[in-house]
Amino acid sequence: MIRKLVVPKELGEGIEVRLLQWYKAEGDLVGVDEAILEFETDKAIVLVGAKQAGLLRKCFYGAGDWMQTGDVVGWLSDELDEPLPAERDAQAEVLLVSFDAT
Amino acid sequence: MSRLFFREALCRAMAEEMERDSRVILMGQDIAAHGGSYAETRGLFERFGPARVRNTPVAEAVTVGLAAGAAAAGLRPLAFITYLDFLMLGLDALVNYAAKLRFKSAGQLTSPMVVKATAGAKGQGPTHAQSLEPWLMNVPGLTVLAPSTAGDAYGMLKTALRAPGPVVFIDHKKLFPRGGSVPDTEELVPVGSAAIRREGKHLTIVAHSYMSVLALEAATALAAEGIEAEVIDLRSLAPIDWETLTTSARRTGHALFVEEGQVVCGVGAELAFGLRERLSSLRVARLGAKRAPVAPSPVLESFIVPDAKDIEQSARDLLLANVKNGTHRTGKEET
Repeated sequence: MIRKLVVPKELGEGIEVRLLQWYKAEGDLVGVDEAILEFETDKAIVLVGAKQAGLLRKCFYGAGDWMQTGDVVGWLSDELDEPLPAERDAQAEVLLVSFDAT
Repeated sequence: MSRLFFREALCRAMAEEMERDSRVILMGQDIAAHGGSYAETRGLFERFGPARVRNTPVAEAVTVGLAAGAAAAGLRPLAFITYLDFLMLGLDALVNYAAKLRFKSAGQLTSPMVVKATAGAKGQGPTHAQSLEPWLMNVPGLTVLAPSTAGDAYGMLKTALRAPGPVVFIDHKKLFPRGGSVPDTEELVPVGSAAIRREGKHLTIVAHSYMSVLALEAATALAAEGIEAEVIDLRSLAPIDWETLTTSARRTGHALFVEEGQVVCGVGAELAFGLRERLSSLRVARLGAKRAPVAPSPVLESFIVPDAKDIEQSARDLLLANVKNGTHRTGKEET
C-alpha cells in the first residue's frame, strides 16, 4: 500500500514551510518514530517522523524547497516493488509527528 | 530573486543597513540574544554586538523616548514595538518630539528614527490586535509605511533606515508565516509609491498590509464571476501615492477601500474623500472592522475583522450601487 506524507495541517492553514533536510533517501526503510525530514516555519525548526513504518519511495521536494501545510511531501510503501500511482494526492495519509530537535 | 520568510527579509534589510551605516542601532524587547519576538533579529546580536543590538525593558515610552533622543544626537535607531497597541505609550516622544523636531529647531535638529510595530488580529484579544495606522497618518512629520510582501518589507525597511525623519514601519502578525520573493541585489522601495498588484477594469480595491493579501484572494474569486478588480497595495500610508490611486480610479469609476481597523476616521475615510476631491463622480465604499474591540475568540474575531468573502461582497455591492449614499459601509452586514 502506498501512503502519502503530508506537511502537518496542525501548523495552521496557509502556513508556508521550507524543507531543510531529508534524513532518509528514496528506497530507505523508515521505522516508526524515526526522523524522516526537517523543515522550518517562520518560528521553529521541526523534525518529523511517521506514525507508520514503511519504505520511502518518493520525495517530491528537495532541501530549500517551499511547501504549504497539506502539501504531499513524499510517499511510503509497504513493498519496494509496489507500482507508484499517477496521482500525488490520492492515497491514504500517514500521520507525521514532530520530535524535539536536540 | 530568492524566496525568504517575511522575518528573514526584515533581518536582511537590518543587517545590510547596519553594515552600511554604523549609526544604525536596534532597540527593543527580546531583540538581542533571543532574536526578536518574531525571530526577525536572529543572528544580529551575535554579528553586531550588544552596543548596537540592545534589549529594552517592557517600557515602550522609554524605548521610543530613548530612540527619539538618540536620533537627535546623531544615531539612526530602530525601535521595536512588539504590538502596535503599545506604541500608545510612546506616542508623546514620537508625535511631540520626533515628528516636530525639525520644525521646532528650524532644521537644526532632525530625528531619523524608525519605529517598527506589528499590527493585526491573530487570536490575541482586544489589546494585542489593533490596526491604528490612521492615528499616525494624521501627524505631520511622520512617514508611515506598511508592506504586505517579504520583498517590500526588505525594500521599505531599508528606505526607512535612510529616511531624514521619523518613520513608523507597520507589519502584521499574519504576514510572518508567509514566504515571498526578495531581490538578490539591493533594491529600495521609495516612500509614497503604491503598487498595482492586479490589473482590472471594473473597480479598484485599495488595501494595505495583510488586507492586500485578502484583496488579491477576493479579486481572484471575483474574476470567476466576470468582475475584474484592480488591486492597489498602498505600501505608503503617509505620504499617499495619489497619482496611482487617481489614475486607477478614473479608469474603473469605482473604488473600494479595505482596512482591518475601524472605518471611523480610518484610512478609507481619508482616501475616499481625497479621491472624491479629485474625481467627483467616483463611486466609493469602505470596508473595515465592525464597531467593536477585536475579540480573543476566533469565531468572534473573524466576525469582527473583514475577510476575503467580505471584500468580495463589498465589491459586488459597490458595482450594484447598493451602498447607501455611495460612501458608507461598515464591516459585515449587521443583523
